[in-house]
Amino acid sequence: MLKTFKHSFRLANAYKVNTVIFSLKSLPIIKRLLPDSLYSSSGLKKFAVVISAVWQFIMIFLGKAIYIGLMVYLPASQMKDPGRAFLNILFFLTLAGGITNNGMFDPSRDKYYAMFIMRLDARDYTVSNYVYYILKTFVGFVGMVLLFGALCGANLLYCAVIPFTVCAVKPIFTCLSLLYDSRHITHLKHEGFPYSAVTAVDAVFIAGAYVPVLLGAAIPGLAVLIATVLLLAASAFAFSYIVNFKNYRTIQLFVLNPQNLAMNKSVETQRTQSMFQNKIGTDVNITSRKSGYKYFNEIFMKRHSKILTKSAKKITAVLLAVFVVLIGANYFIPDASVSINGFILNNLSVLLIIMYFINRGRTMTQAMFVNCDHSMLAYRFYRQPAAILNLFIQRLKYIIIVNLMPACVIAAGIPLLLFLSGGTENGALYPLIFFTIIAMSLFFSVHTMVLYYLLQPYNENMEMKNAAYAIVNTITYFICYYVMDKKIPIVIFGICVCVFSLVYVCVSFTIAYRLAPKTFKLRH
Amino acid sequence: MRLILNDVKKNFSEKEVLKGINFSFEKGKIYGLLGRNGAGKTTLFNCISEDIKADSGKITVEENGKERGVNSADIGYVLSTPVVPEFLTAGEFLKFFLDINKPEKSNPQEMEKYFDLMKIAPEDRNKLMKDYSHGMKNKMQMLVNFIADPAILLLDEPLTSFDVVVADEMKQLLKSLKEEHIIIFSTHILELALDLCDEIVILNNGVLEGIEKEHLDNEELKDKIISALRGDEDA
Repeated sequence: MLKTFKHSFRLANAYKVNTVIFSLKSLPIIKRLLPDSLYSSSGLKKFAVVISAVWQFIMIFLGKAIYIGLMVYLPASQMKDPGRAFLNILFFLTLAGGITNNGMFDPSRDKYYAMFIMRLDARDYTVSNYVYYILKTFVGFVGMVLLFGALCGANLLYCAVIPFTVCAVKPIFTCLSLLYDSRHITHLKHEGFPYSAVTAVDAVFIAGAYVPVLLGAAIPGLAVLIATVLLLAASAFAFSYIVNFKNYRTIQLFVLNPQNLAMNKSVETQRTQSMFQNKIGTDVNITSRKSGYKYFNEIFMKRHSKILTKSAKKITAVLLAVFVVLIGANYFIPDASVSINGFILNNLSVLLIIMYFINRGRTMTQAMFVNCDHSMLAYRFYRQPAAILNLFIQRLKYIIIVNLMPACVIAAGIPLLLFLSGGTENGALYPLIFFTIIAMSLFFSVHTMVLYYLLQPYNENMEMKNAAYAIVNTITYFICYYVMDKKIPIVIFGICVCVFSLVYVCVSFTIAYRLAPKTFKLRH
Repeated sequence: MRLILNDVKKNFSEKEVLKGINFSFEKGKIYGLLGRNGAGKTTLFNCISEDIKADSGKITVEENGKERGVNSADIGYVLSTPVVPEFLTAGEFLKFFLDINKPEKSNPQEMEKYFDLMKIAPEDRNKLMKDYSHGMKNKMQMLVNFIADPAILLLDEPLTSFDVVVADEMKQLLKSLKEEHIIIFSTHILELALDLCDEIVILNNGVLEGIEKEHLDNEELKDKIISALRGDEDA
């Protein structure tokens, strides 16, 4: 078993290391510096192994830190007795996590390679990796439970029991799940427990974590200790069942079946493709009176109205409803008008992220690629500069209109709401707010289209192959997110947004117009 | 008219795929391009059609005694995996294609003629192409390439997705087109190449060479081709 584990560990590592190198090679500039022979360079491999090991070591703690920090420490620290609340929440969440987060059958590609390509013994593989998983969990929990427990002022002796609880609960539920599977295994299935049962039990445990502490109660430390001892005893039996279980191969075969899970890119890709294909409207009577690229674009948009126009209309309707409710609240709820007025005058920057989310551009460019450009770019006439620019303009017009629908409602609604909730002394703010919102909408429309045309991120297999595209998108998101809670005066925010959008739209449009004929192509 | 490849080279990182291709293709002939898996047939097509840029060398067209660069109107390229815009019906795609490339022919009567030429049944013309079979998509892809009427047609494994009846129809169609075109046809199927093509060219070790038919019968020719593909010295 140890030998199998060594093999599997090395395989998983090789896989991770090659993934690291592959990702490096897809970065612009860096890829030119790195030759293909990198994959066989032993010095660099060793370096990547170290990086990967360090990364895994960090992940052991980082995941737990985020989990305990957000789910346990944060709520517990708000309570009257943070120490006892901490232990209570942690204990019950541990029980809940034992069911949902089991580790044994989490699908991943290296598992598939190990058991079905390299033919490692399924039982040895599964069990040894499971033990490794439990050990990692234990180590991660010891560190983080003690750290956050100390911060909360919890009894550290009882806190130290929790890692044992975690490692006792997981095998028990795994064993029960295997027992269940072995009864239901006749048709090569791994279903685990029925979803509704798992959800119900989980809900009880999660309620057990938070409800008592809200009411000022908590489980005594001694009870945690006793429960853990009992669970440990039960887990010894569970573990012997796990070790002796015979049918791992059958279950793994099902779990790791490429048809069932996105094992490789081509399956993922097929899914994306079929998802977008299913969005194509099937009405063949849709027509267009236009001709050439205008005809082509109009039919594209009409056949995709489900994800474009119709969804923009829905968002618009929801926004209208929100404004009606707010206007109603303004009149009928005392003090509401003061809060609304203050919020608008102080928090307009929150609109940036709202505009980011209602922008339909990303869905639209994805649909364009999967259902249209992916095939059309194979045709020479479609790649001619005139054709690319012609369609770029058609599409840009359309996306601007789609995004302006909800934007207009917000642009009109907010000044109106400001006026109704008491107004402002500076009358220039009303048009400024209006234009700021319209400018944001234009910015996002142009931004997504320009990015798509300049960094066309997909290859023939519809895999995302452009790290730069992902990076720019992430940066865009983070800027919107960062600005969200900054209290920027409307005048400054508005003028900055309007000027920036105007400059950005002009500059990026010019760049796209110059470069798109060269950059808009299938990646090989 | 001739298509002339002069010392065309293409590397992918350190791998030399095309090591200097020298060849001249003439109008009025169908060339069968044979090569083993990974020999670089598609790369060669991609270089000719400028889908990827060759690292060095020249690809030119000689017309009326004058040599010039290849322009986009010269080349039609039918990919082995047919790609068509799936959100359009075949009729809409054809209309769009004619609008762009042959506006004078963008009318219902001409469109009917084209569909008839490819033997696409009237009931299929108004179907979304996402519901088309592989073979039907391939027919549409070939049709638009024929309509554009480029002097040079590159066909990458074009007949493999067709059933025997359609494959035979396509063979006849290609034969009828060859007088006015240079047709280069890549395939793995030796029999098909021998049956349809006037010349056999072999891509091996990054080099393109013609196979002299001399006075060999089919079996002898096959042996010669296979040993050439193996890279035997005496081939």
